[in-house]
Amino acid sequence: MDLSLLKQDIKQLIIKELNLEGRDPASIPDDAQLFGALTGVADSPTVSLGLDSLDALQLAMSIEEKFGVRVPDGSEARSIFASVASLASFVAERTPAG
Amino acid sequence: MRSSRIWITGVGLVTALGPDVATTWPRLVSGVRGLAPLTLFDTAGQRASMVASVAPAYFEDASREGLTGDGAARAWSRTSAFAWKAVAEAMTHAGLPVAPVERSGDRRRLGLVVAGTTGGMFETEALLGDLHANPTSTASLVKMMSQPLTATGDRLVSRFGPFCRVRSLCSACSSGANAFVVGALWLLSGEVDAVVVGGTDGLCRLTVSGFNALTATDPDMCRPFDARRKGINLGEGAGFAVLERASSAVARGASVVAELSGWAIGAEAHHITQPDPSANVAARLIARSLRRGGLSPRDVDYVNAHGTGTAANDSMEAAALATALGQEIERIPVSSSKGQVGHMLGAAGAVEAIFSALAVKHQLVPPTMGLEEPDPACKLVHVLRAGRPARVRAVLSNSFGFGGMDTVLALTEPELGPPPARAEHERRVVVTGVAALSSRGLADAEDAATWVDGSLSHAGAPAPGPLAFDLISQLDPARVRRLDRPARLGAVVASRALAAAETGTGPIDRAEAGIVLGTAFGNLEASAAFMHRLFDKGPRLVSPAEFPNLVPSSPVGHVSIYLGLQGAAFATADLATSGECAVLQGMELVAGGEVDVVVAGAIEEASALVEKVLACLHGGASSGVPMPRSRARSEGASALVLEDEEHARLRGATPLARIERGYTWTDATEVALEAPRDPGRARVVVGRDERAAKKLIGTPWDAVRRTSLAPFAGDHEGLGGTALVAATSMVHRGLADEVLVVGTSNGRGYALLLVMYGLR
Repeated sequence: MDLSLLKQDIKQLIIKELNLEGRDPASIPDDAQLFGALTGVADSPTVSLGLDSLDALQLAMSIEEKFGVRVPDGSEARSIFASVASLASFVAERTPAG
Repeated sequence: MRSSRIWITGVGLVTALGPDVATTWPRLVSGVRGLAPLTLFDTAGQRASMVASVAPAYFEDASREGLTGDGAARAWSRTSAFAWKAVAEAMTHAGLPVAPVERSGDRRRLGLVVAGTTGGMFETEALLGDLHANPTSTASLVKMMSQPLTATGDRLVSRFGPFCRVRSLCSACSSGANAFVVGALWLLSGEVDAVVVGGTDGLCRLTVSGFNALTATDPDMCRPFDARRKGINLGEGAGFAVLERASSAVARGASVVAELSGWAIGAEAHHITQPDPSANVAARLIARSLRRGGLSPRDVDYVNAHGTGTAANDSMEAAALATALGQEIERIPVSSSKGQVGHMLGAAGAVEAIFSALAVKHQLVPPTMGLEEPDPACKLVHVLRAGRPARVRAVLSNSFGFGGMDTVLALTEPELGPPPARAEHERRVVVTGVAALSSRGLADAEDAATWVDGSLSHAGAPAPGPLAFDLISQLDPARVRRLDRPARLGAVVASRALAAAETGTGPIDRAEAGIVLGTAFGNLEASAAFMHRLFDKGPRLVSPAEFPNLVPSSPVGHVSIYLGLQGAAFATADLATSGECAVLQGMELVAGGEVDVVVAGAIEEASALVEKVLACLHGGASSGVPMPRSRARSEGASALVLEDEEHARLRGATPLARIERGYTWTDATEVALEAPRDPGRARVVVGRDERAAKKLIGTPWDAVRRTSLAPFAGDHEGLGGTALVAATSMVHRGLADEVLVVGTSNGRGYALLLVMYGLR
């Protein structure tokens, strides 16, 4: 699976599922911290989207729906949801190649 | 406000532990757990299904009475059947006649307050399932209308009425506790001599799937306050109580279960599902409930905790108790009943208030079952394994709901605290800011009058369906992503009305301002969408983010968070008079001293499903629900900032109008409307249903010029709120000295009299 396409898909999914209306996928860096306090400016590597646990649940559900990959609950989920990049790697490892 | 003690003189319970108080209470104290895997419907694919169900045998008399079952003409939902049983028990216990033949005496002074969250959702789900399988079926649509939020109240009226006042309310998991507060305020204002209050909720696919999607459930039996706790087990049932002033209880020889000494309602304004870990608001409310009852932490001998068994609730609650009760927390036993009866959602607050009253009456504290390894983060005096005898003078009952809507009740031995103090001043309610949205746009006190003053006579019919208005343009885009459409409609009018109330004056302390919003159907459209996803994709793929938006009080929670409002917050429902009802409720909160400021209004979202249901109903004569169908349904929202006159004066605000009187009545009661002083300078505004004007026949108001709002501003169930905004605008602009807004719906009516400020 093309990782950069997958990242793009995940960014679009985040924007759609979490109602980040008007946000451009390109404005979300691959390594942006998804959760935690909203910080930084859009092009800073330390940017956080300021998402919370309710968003994590919504995102996990939509990842399962779209990619057929089940994201585990609890502490394991935290590292998977660290960034778009980590989420994309997790999904890529569990989906058939191609 | 009268100064009076309020006594509980009758209680009734239906829980997983038993069909009545006599069965439930001893089993609660001895530690019986009513938990088992759910069998009411298919739970394949559900993450967890451990619940506390009410056994069919516990309410089989409801089907014998012909209330439930397929043969029943207008079948009662399970939720309503639980309420029927608990109300009958509570009224019988209090010595009030329940059989129709005994009701020939004066029943005009008895009120009813019903709390809930899911209403007839279990039954509605089956209809949505039919509709899912057969989208053109109209039979299901017609039946769906038999279970709106007000259905339980209406059915209780049919069995136990007449009642002089009836109210249906929702604040998610604190709903049941709020019914006690609303009833207490009616007693204090002298509107009723006794009031039946309580909550009822039945298990359904929607709540089971939703709490599972939130991963807030424990697949095994729950463990409140335990270090290993994983979440809640849902429960179901009902709890109702009879409240009355101590003087009238004594006069008629009724015995007292406990005194309702104190209470406090507030909102955390933090998050739609997560409690505020600072526990600031919960702690403030615990302290305020004690203050209201003239009590101190030293008087408290037991706390019946909300104690859901989720990680976040239990540690927040322990922190709140420690903050509010100080050192005394090291002495006071605390327990949660949820490991035995489950989390009964809209019924929980009422059932647990009754448990608290019984703890006082029987001098016993019930246990926390499931708790074995207390979490160090919940450092409390726990009651393990079984209840025990204790000296119990005062009990606190905590209830915390979605959207951060919190209520604390204080139940005590009779006459424990000092006699309740009278209000420092006569509280008069003024309007200091208004806003409304209709297909004519966004209006405030300067221009809302144009919707009723004839300016629109040639403007053509208002557009039905969703408003074309750009809601985001009025809001902070960075903070609205969680707000669904009803919440955004509410946020626009509430923020506009508050801004108007603060223009040129001192700010309103948001921490003390409350919010009450009316709704007719709750979020039926989104609930249907959620259920369709469940039917299509299974329980794992329902939307966790959408679930909290399905509670009828969800817009209240969202708007309180958006605006930081931390005063009393809940939703009311009354079909076509949802606007009038919510504003009257807001007025009662201000007049009763619960809040100095409250935003009150109504929201109705355009809904294809509601349209379809109403279109079917209009075709069928059997509905009994008065719905004028000459116009297509529109969308709209309204908000009025209601304020204690003295509070407004102190912050330098000039009121737009004063609400001289708020009336409500039922088919069984008469009201004497105050006559207009100058009929030529008075007006009547009817929100949506011209039939409301029948109430004016034979009164001086019948001769007063009357305008109906719906033909100009679009028709929806919350239009009464918009009528009140227009009426405020009229007296503010001097177009009338006084305006009576009148509305009727399903056997109930409302009239609110707005007068030009400074006129009387």
